[in-house]
Amino acid sequence: MKNFINWFDDRLPIFSVIKHSTTEYPAPKNLNYWWNFGSLALICLVTQILTGLFLAMHYKPDAATAFDSIQHIMRDVEWGWLLRYVHMVGAHFFFIVVYIHIFRGLYFGSYKQPREVLWGLGVVILFLMILTAFMGYVLPWGQMSYWGATVITNLLSVIPLVGDNVVVWLWGGYSVGDPTLNRFFALHFLMPFVIVGVVFLHLWALHHKGSNNPKGIDLKKETDWIPFHPYYTIKDTFGLGVYFIFFLGMVFYAPNILGHTDNYIPANPMVTPSHIVPEWYFLPFYAILRAIPSKLIGVVAMVAAILILFALPWLDRSKVRAATFRPIYKQMFWIFLINCFVLGWVGANPPEGMYVLIGRVATVLYFAFFLLLPVVSRFEKTKPVPTSL
Amino acid sequence: MKKALLLIALFAGIVAAQPAPTYAAGDGAVPPEMEWSFRGFNPEWDVEQIFRGYKVATQVCMACHSFKYIKHRDLMKLGFSEEQVASLADEMGLGLDDKLISALTTEAALMSYGTEIPDLSLMNMARPHGADYLHALLVGYEEAPEGVSVPAGKHYNKYFPGHVIAMPKPLTMDGQVEYPEGSKVEPTVDQMAKDVSAFIEWTGEPILVKRKTLGVYVLLYLLIFTILSYMLMKSIWSDVKKK
Ligand code: HEC
Ligand code: HEM
Repeated sequence: MKNFINWFDDRLPIFSVIKHSTTEYPAPKNLNYWWNFGSLALICLVTQILTGLFLAMHYKPDAATAFDSIQHIMRDVEWGWLLRYVHMVGAHFFFIVVYIHIFRGLYFGSYKQPREVLWGLGVVILFLMILTAFMGYVLPWGQMSYWGATVITNLLSVIPLVGDNVVVWLWGGYSVGDPTLNRFFALHFLMPFVIVGVVFLHLWALHHKGSNNPKGIDLKKETDWIPFHPYYTIKDTFGLGVYFIFFLGMVFYAPNILGHTDNYIPANPMVTPSHIVPEWYFLPFYAILRAIPSKLIGVVAMVAAILILFALPWLDRSKVRAATFRPIYKQMFWIFLINCFVLGWVGANPPEGMYVLIGRVATVLYFAFFLLLPVVSRFEKTKPVPTSL
Repeated sequence: MKKALLLIALFAGIVAAQPAPTYAAGDGAVPPEMEWSFRGFNPEWDVEQIFRGYKVATQVCMACHSFKYIKHRDLMKLGFSEEQVASLADEMGLGLDDKLISALTTEAALMSYGTEIPDLSLMNMARPHGADYLHALLVGYEEAPEGVSVPAGKHYNKYFPGHVIAMPKPLTMDGQVEYPEGSKVEPTVDQMAKDVSAFIEWTGEPILVKRKTLGVYVLLYLLIFTILSYMLMKSIWSDVKKK
């Protein structure tokens, strides 16, 4: 066996690559629990793909039968209810995990040199996740599926000149309907595998330059590093246990709590729900969209809210990574985080009265974080940074 | 640590803020919270209650509403024997595997009530407050307050969003449905409303009790797994010098 492995590895070094990049992979010895969320995100992705695959074996992507097929899964398929709830709650938790993962990067300056590409690939993943989840939410073909899809796809009509044609092309008709559902299913099946590809690049970039650490410093001393296995494999295992207690707790006790009850009403093009609310993970972006009176500029701002993350490594000029040593950036970080929650809250409420004003202020604050960084990072007096752990 | 707590608090706040938009002005009153056997830590189906609710559903509601995801055979999962269920189906002129479809057609409903009549199987999942709302709706008919005009053929209901509902009060008097012999309760309007709400909770998610009971074992297993991995982690990490 050993001989065979050596023979094979000599021709295709699959075993040594695995060994090199998992067990032997050197990691800083002081990573805290916020570093658990990367491996958790990977588990989320695998969970979604596995449960999604089995759901797809019973789901029918047809406007006439989609809603019923979900009930077929819930009632008649062995363990179908568990598959569906894990997939559904899994989507929520995937976003919770990834958002924490992103804010970890923001706090400890993981986006900075030499990890700009790693960060950028992460933003690509976020973007693909948003598309995937949006299309997945359409599949149960409930009222929110239908009207959410209508509202969001309609946004493309703001594209100058060809907007209306683009929307008709995307729908495959003159409104969201059977052809839309069909293609969304095909894309929702495909996209996670595209995400797997980008995740692979993300990890490649990570292993090329190594992990950042809570101090945000370049580690030069040999003793600052420990092998990934067994230290971080066991720490990730423990983290996974804690995560699963929350995740499966939700699956078994409150699977529908984050969802909208209207999605248990079959899609009905004749009846518009009184409030069309997207899933919570889109709410901050939705709030930015609605904060701006011009639809065109609103859409641009919403997309820019994600795109601007790509520019972050160059907007922030500070050589110091971790917010721990950056008194002003640290304040900005917390304001930015709280502001994201405020945007989410505004997005959940109808665009009337005080919500309009708060939404506008919060939108300005969102972009101000990025636009102030080039100035702040120049003049900020950082605290002394240690040279090793 | 303090910051982690702050984060969790913020997240909890957002979750709590979520259903808020459902109750904007003009919506129905918030239904009072009732006791249900399927809620709480030790959930179970009250089979007798569900059976009484089945009587109300089939004898009253099905004049207009369907339960298209339910067939008589499904009742066997609650512990009824095949003969019992077959004879219940037979009383309605149905087979074991026939869905509970109302005789009222969509066209007839549109003619008589000016609206489509929703299927009731998933009703508790499709409304905020689930069974509480359903019960409240069924007993929430009252005289329209001064100054509120109710169009002909419509009715005033305190809990219905918008207050004007096309459904005539379905449960009108005590004893409307005959309860099985030996029932512990009388078929008052309130009781019938409760029982049919419990039935609809079951039709909405027949696996609800199984899900929660199984959850206990899953979480216990996870707890043990997590504690063991914590201990293992501590021992593996004990040779790493701190800072
Ligand atoms: C005489 C016909 C009729 C009967 C009998 C009837 N309903 Fe209805 N029901 C309707 C109509 C019509 C509507 C649509 C109301 C509307 O949208 O304004 C409706 C709507 C409902 C709704 C939806 C309310 C909402 O929030 O949208 C529920 C719940 C309901 N009925 C429960 C019941 C139950 C439980 C029974 C049996 C106890 C019952 N109905 C018996 C005609 C009936
Ligand atoms: C990035 C990973 C994924 C995310 C974020 C995601 C997200 C979602 C969401 C939000 C829903 C709607 C949930 C509901 O209300 O039911 C959904 C449904 C669905 N997804 Fe995914 N999904 C992912 C991967 C996959 C994969 C890989 C497949 C198939 C191979 C898949 C197949 C399905 C199917 C069939 C449904 C409809 C059934 C249902 O509604 O439960 N998903 N997905």
